Amino acid sequence: MLEELLIFTRGGLILWSSCRALAGGAALLKGSPIDALIRSCLLEERSGDAGFTKDAYALKWTFNNDLGLVFVAVYQRMLHLLYVDDLLAAVRRDFSQIYNPKRVSYDDLFTETFRQLHLEAEARAEAMKKSRQQPANPSSGGAARGPAGKKLGPNGRPGGGAGGKKNSGSGKDDSDGGDSGKEQNGGFTANGGSVAKGGQENGAVKDTSRAARAVVVDNDGKENGDPNDGAFDVNTLRRKTGGKKGGGGGGGKKNDVKKPAKTEPKKVVKQMRVWDDKPPKNEKLDFTDPADERGEEVIEKVLTNQGDSMMDKDEDLSSDSEDEEEEEEENAGAGQKKKGWFSSMFKSIAGNNVLEKSDLQPALKALKDRLMTKNVAEEIAEKLCESVAASLEGKKLGSFTRISSTVQTAMEEALLRILTPRRSIDILRDVQAAKERGKPYVVVFVGVNGVGKSTNLAKVAYWLLQHNLSVMMAACDTFRSGAVEQLRTHARRLQIPIFEKGYEKDPAVVAKEAIQEATRNKSDVVLVDTAGRMQDNEPLMRALSKLINLNKPDLVLFVGEALVGNDAVDQLNKFNQKLADLSTVPTARLIDGILLTKFDTIDDKVGAALSMVYISGSPVMFVGCGQSYTDLKKLNVKSIVKTLLK
Amino acid sequence: TQRCKMSCCIHYACLGFCFCDIEFHWYYCICVVINMQLLCMFGCLTASCLKSSKPNTIVLSGLSGSGKTVLFYQLRDGSSHQGTVTSMTHNNATFVLHSELERKGKIKPVHVIDVPGHARLKSKLDEVLPQAAGVVFVVDALDFLSSMQASAEYLYDILTKATVVKKRIPVLIFCNKTDKVTAHSKEFIKKQLEKEVNKLRESRNAISSADISDEVQLGLPGEAFNFSQCQNKVIVDEGAGLTGDVSAVEQFIREYVKP
Repeated sequence: MLEELLIFTRGGLILWSSCRALAGGAALLKGSPIDALIRSCLLEERSGDAGFTKDAYALKWTFNNDLGLVFVAVYQRMLHLLYVDDLLAAVRRDFSQIYNPKRVSYDDLFTETFRQLHLEAEARAEAMKKSRQQPANPSSGGAARGPAGKKLGPNGRPGGGAGGKKNSGSGKDDSDGGDSGKEQNGGFTANGGSVAKGGQENGAVKDTSRAARAVVVDNDGKENGDPNDGAFDVNTLRRKTGGKKGGGGGGGKKNDVKKPAKTEPKKVVKQMRVWDDKPPKNEKLDFTDPADERGEEVIEKVLTNQGDSMMDKDEDLSSDSEDEEEEEEENAGAGQKKKGWFSSMFKSIAGNNVLEKSDLQPALKALKDRLMTKNVAEEIAEKLCESVAASLEGKKLGSFTRISSTVQTAMEEALLRILTPRRSIDILRDVQAAKERGKPYVVVFVGVNGVGKSTNLAKVAYWLLQHNLSVMMAACDTFRSGAVEQLRTHARRLQIPIFEKGYEKDPAVVAKEAIQEATRNKSDVVLVDTAGRMQDNEPLMRALSKLINLNKPDLVLFVGEALVGNDAVDQLNKFNQKLADLSTVPTARLIDGILLTKFDTIDDKVGAALSMVYISGSPVMFVGCGQSYTDLKKLNVKSIVKTLLK
Repeated sequence: TQRCKMSCCIHYACLGFCFCDIEFHWYYCICVVINMQLLCMFGCLTASCLKSSKPNTIVLSGLSGSGKTVLFYQLRDGSSHQGTVTSMTHNNATFVLHSELERKGKIKPVHVIDVPGHARLKSKLDEVLPQAAGVVFVVDALDFLSSMQASAEYLYDILTKATVVKKRIPVLIFCNKTDKVTAHSKEFIKKQLEKEVNKLRESRNAISSADISDEVQLGLPGEAFNFSQCQNKVIVDEGAGLTGDVSAVEQFIREYVKP
């Protein structure tokens, strides 16, 4: 049952609303799903997606780009309505014929038409369903799972089941081996166990672990089978569906693994991490000096002022272009009157092109390839192109404009929109606000191995020091050899206090004590360094999420390197997902900002910035562009867009 | 660039026409062409001189959800019709204020642009500000406290733009949604905004040696910020978009947009 069909202009005015016209009352939708759709989907350049879900509603939409209209259908998510796409297309066709820019009320004109269209669409869908049910039933089950998008069938199977089906097939074959393997492993979780014990060949283990992961980890199943779902919705992630993908085998596996996981908290002693099959060595490899003073005597190198951090220098390439723009705007008024007459004269020559999808394809393909040569992740480029296509289809070409230039302008606007931050990224202001509350501002640096967390932490500390804030470092990387010494050296050079507890301590506890110490010292900012971890590593992600839950930092900064390619998407997705899954509070803390590092090593292949911002929705707060303290700057959105489309 | 394209086309068209003629008329055609072009250019220049270079646009800005689109339609049609959703692009129209329709005599239409408030579409504001004769900054008086910081930042951005300061564009801070009982008063909102802008001023001024290209220093150093310290005029007023109580905005428009 369709809850509502809304027609509104791109500028925001509602032209016609089905529940107001038909039901004649404010049978309003709970929450405001339309606003949520606009904010988290259409303005995020995800308009190429098949659907959007919020709370209990599922939404589908279509555009008339020529007239600037948007048609949105809202229905209950539980129901699987087949006729919505059909209906939307029919409504768009009919409404565009009666649309008049001067008119604002279409109740009398359109209500009857809509009623008819609705009945027709329902009838068509019924007929199709009946004709489909004639052949064997399993195929209809397959067909229900086939269509992409987030519509859930009545069984609650996710729509991306096509990929999942393959997984479940292989999962079933290996499940017997996997099960026996699991039972041997006893007290380890699925991933950790299969990697550590290695009782089977590595190949087989990897397959089972992957299939097991696909089936076992609750919401992972949904996301794995549906990697194209860009609209990452926290509510969906946190909803623990009983992902019955592999059928019985999967259910059995889940039960097996859940029991061992519950016995884990009883372990008190943290065992040394083992990376391969060799028996664990018990020698202590910790050569840190027990006495601190000795270290101080040897390295007494204090940092002299290296100049201003590049954060405070503004790149002024916009000043020239601004002058040009002003001039053009002044003369545009006079030029326009003349243009009107001539353009009508030349329109007969230029033709009245309405953009079709087939026209857009070559231009979009060229743009997509260009983006990919600039190191934008492949699926991001794909989604962006779809979104731009959705916003251009049906638009009339202006005279003297080629298709490629229209597409280019649209893409430029879209990129500008994505890279512009959604909220303010003024850290100094937030620090001031925290200062007034009497608490230190806590920043946690997370990321995979080797991206530059510790180095950039020092750069951020340097920048904050230049603004007369008192900074404290917390060495919560208790795993990597030399991590604590590294931070100690930085702290000594910058002359700021550092809180450390050596190696092999629980990072969450170290962070907590560091924050308490900072509150006692009245430090303004606490920068917490964590160990690098792969996004697939379950126990490490669990430890990270524990750190964040326990300490509730003000800013969770994901450090990513600009050299990363398609993996950026996976990294950010998994990090956010794990943080959401393992959170103990209803509103999970996700990644708040991105720190892009090694920016000086890429010449113009700046696509990683775009991939990361698109997939996570969080802004890029800092850009590390070198290896000394001053090499930290802000992201210049205009120059990135220019570089991407050059 | 559009203009250049058009002028090129005109040149080619004229040349094309004159080639059709017999060679005898060759020089005659060239003279005609040159004269035509000169006339056109002259016409352009005079048109642009005669056209009042004074901007006459009113820009409606504010956070997302503060009620700009409703206000826009109230000014234009006297009602907000069936309601609005979050705007994805701007609303741009030239019209006679609805309340003035009944007035006898020559009424000058006003050009109003409603800029979307969503953070990602902020670049739109920079495009329209140069043509602005006045800016109406709409604030949600009902839900003020939760959006106070964000509104103050947006307001700070507007007040420190070079174009706003140089051209002394007047700003009206319109406290919307005062028809609801729990809405805050305009005095409260004014004080809170001044405090927040003061804080922003201090944290931004901390960037001492850098030369921020577009920003201008606000207010007097050492003193708490006050709207009267701005070089352009800043007024605070209240009303309600949904009920049609927009007289404050209309007054502002009439006062500052000279016909």
